[in-house]
Amino acid sequence: MIGWEWPPSHSGGLGVHVFELCTELAKMGHTVTFLSPFPGPYTPVEGVTFRCPADEPIEPYPGAYAIGGSAGRWQEGDIERFNAWVAGFPIGHHDVIHVHDWFGTVGASALAHRSGRPLVMTVHSTEYDRSLGHPWAEILARERSGLQAADRVIAVSEHLKRQLVERYGVRPEKVRVIYNAVRPSERLSILSSRRKIVLYLGRLAAMKGVDTFLRAAARVVSTAPDTLFVVAGEGPEFGRLLILAAHLGVSDRVLFLGKVTEEERVTLLASASVFVLPSVVEPFGIAAAEAMAAGIPAIVSKTSGIAEITDSVFTVDFWDIDEFASRISELLEYPALRRAMGAAGRRSVMREGWEERALQTVGVYFELVKDGRR
Amino acid sequence: MKVVLYLHLHQPWRLARFRYVDLGSGRPYIDEHRNLEIFRGIATRCYRPALGRLADALDAEPDFRFSLSVTGTWLEQAAMAAPDVLRTLHRIVRTGRVALLSETYYHSLAFLLPPPELLDEVELHRAALQREFGARPKVLRMTELAYSDELARFAEGERFQGMLVEGWEGILRGHPPTHVYCAAPAPTVMLLARHYMLSDDVGFRFSSKQWNEYPLTAEKYVRWIAATPGELVNLFMDFETFGEHHPASSGILEFLSALPRTVRETPGLSWATVEEAVELPPRESLSAPTTVSWADQNRDLGAWLGNDLQRSAFEAAKKVGVLARTAGNPEILETWRKLLTSDHFYYMYVGGHGADAGVHQYFSSYGSPYDAYANYMNALMDLRRRAVERISDERSMGTAGRNRTR
Repeated sequence: MIGWEWPPSHSGGLGVHVFELCTELAKMGHTVTFLSPFPGPYTPVEGVTFRCPADEPIEPYPGAYAIGGSAGRWQEGDIERFNAWVAGFPIGHHDVIHVHDWFGTVGASALAHRSGRPLVMTVHSTEYDRSLGHPWAEILARERSGLQAADRVIAVSEHLKRQLVERYGVRPEKVRVIYNAVRPSERLSILSSRRKIVLYLGRLAAMKGVDTFLRAAARVVSTAPDTLFVVAGEGPEFGRLLILAAHLGVSDRVLFLGKVTEEERVTLLASASVFVLPSVVEPFGIAAAEAMAAGIPAIVSKTSGIAEITDSVFTVDFWDIDEFASRISELLEYPALRRAMGAAGRRSVMREGWEERALQTVGVYFELVKDGRR
Repeated sequence: MKVVLYLHLHQPWRLARFRYVDLGSGRPYIDEHRNLEIFRGIATRCYRPALGRLADALDAEPDFRFSLSVTGTWLEQAAMAAPDVLRTLHRIVRTGRVALLSETYYHSLAFLLPPPELLDEVELHRAALQREFGARPKVLRMTELAYSDELARFAEGERFQGMLVEGWEGILRGHPPTHVYCAAPAPTVMLLARHYMLSDDVGFRFSSKQWNEYPLTAEKYVRWIAATPGELVNLFMDFETFGEHHPASSGILEFLSALPRTVRETPGLSWATVEEAVELPPRESLSAPTTVSWADQNRDLGAWLGNDLQRSAFEAAKKVGVLARTAGNPEILETWRKLLTSDHFYYMYVGGHGADAGVHQYFSSYGSPYDAYANYMNALMDLRRRAVERISDERSMGTAGRNRTR
């Protein structure tokens, strides 16, 4: 398995997906070797071995792809060195090579070619989306080479699959859709708070549309001034969003928490009345799924992959501030709606967990191993 | 054996998307244009061809007779969207062989509200039928064929000779639906029980290729009717069965055309309207302590008031009703009544799976029950605000008036 981020230092859905997938694979009795550019620390999982380039581990990368809040920076040549190391990795009993997103695709393709093992590539998001239509050519090239070399491509939603087919020319026959999931958790008992809390929890990246959250907040507080909007997470947009909140006159109604610990995250989910994920682009939206698993009704943008697996969520065009504001107000004002959607949303995201996702992934592996490609 | 065919014509005034931010904006709750567009579509596929065939059958078959209920909201939309359909309906009613039924004007849940709302809405509907067709119905049908002892007493008080009920075990208690019964608490009110097996053969199963009786011909169907023991067979269904629920390509319109003749040609069978049927002597008296309807598998009120969303919306509507009446403004009262139409609550049904959920989704104009609820509540809250404003205006004007006289 070739990835990059792994808990505890992860910033997005990819880290969660890879960790949960490897954990379930190991539980089923598979052994996983996880190749990462980083020296760790890694949350250990029995059955999963971690390897990184021994002599020159790479320091985490900043900016749009901040890992664990580190301010480190890629050095020229880091990516090539990592990929060269992957390409030469001594393959043992491994049956399948599985790479996630663009970072290690070149090395993974070379390794698959050299060893005769099938290559699976999971796409969690595309460079087009992360850059809001201004892709970095090098990353795009690495995505394309992986997509071309892979025997099977896994997309985390149908929406993403369509994009891979239309934008990247991937043959639809080789794409499988396997959604993300959430861990089974207790329904959190709601902490009482005098003010109702509307929560955004996620990276502060351009593709997340946090602008819309703030603009909707400005509309909502005009009729419900007691509402508190919480922005939890960090990222390159932080400064701009602070200024926007001031400009909109909602600085006293919006709380920027920065990066939150696991414990703080649980507390937030137990306190919030409504969860909002207004992403411009959201291939899946694990953050919304986790909020729903905690029993919080969620509002997501229409393109979010999670809307493909549940009807118990409000979907809104990412640019439609009035509609976001309306949906937030409706959930705040109508307790019967909040309860019904919270309960139904929780049921719907708990229906299939990581175990099912891992089984589906193993199904993809078997398509290749049984194909006689080995 | 009498064959009693009864068809129900109804379209609701569906709400437009009325967002929370639209509260106080003066935007209308009802998108008239969209409703009329839907009506025109159904008129083309169903009302025009099916009413045309019924009119032809009345011309060709002097013994053919049937019964119709037409809601006020359907009449309003027909007049605006498809006046020719309304003219055909007039022509059919003028034959004197089509009985019309009473019900609430708005196809509403008024029967669950404190009096006098139910009476007011039945009166509104009576007046509309009088105006439109010069008709005064003798038989009452409640929204979604709801029936209970309380409703029987209401019907008796309003001098109705009969009511339609679902031929369901909860009411019939072992008796067949093929006799006339009377209401235990109101013996002057005859009950006509829907034969749901035979009715649903046409209403639900006609176009289903998985059904082992597919395809259903008029001959086969009438054979089944003739083989049914009893005095009458009550075939009650939505009018939209013919061309809308089952498309014309299923052969449903030809089936409808063939029925009148096939019944005439079958010895022992004859057509009757509901008004003729209630003249038959009752075999038993039946009681229904709880409300029974023709909706869903449970035949109760679950289709509109089965979940917390529906109950909360209805409770809110009840409260706004008190304000709407107090406000004394006809437009506010009328809008509130349009919001009482049962369809709005039906859209808030949360099923998830099973046959019923599919049926609810088919009829819904919303993406989800949560959409339906939020939109409804927004409209209702806006109406409440308008009613309250009106009431406080009146009060302050009243005070000002008194001050002046002093």
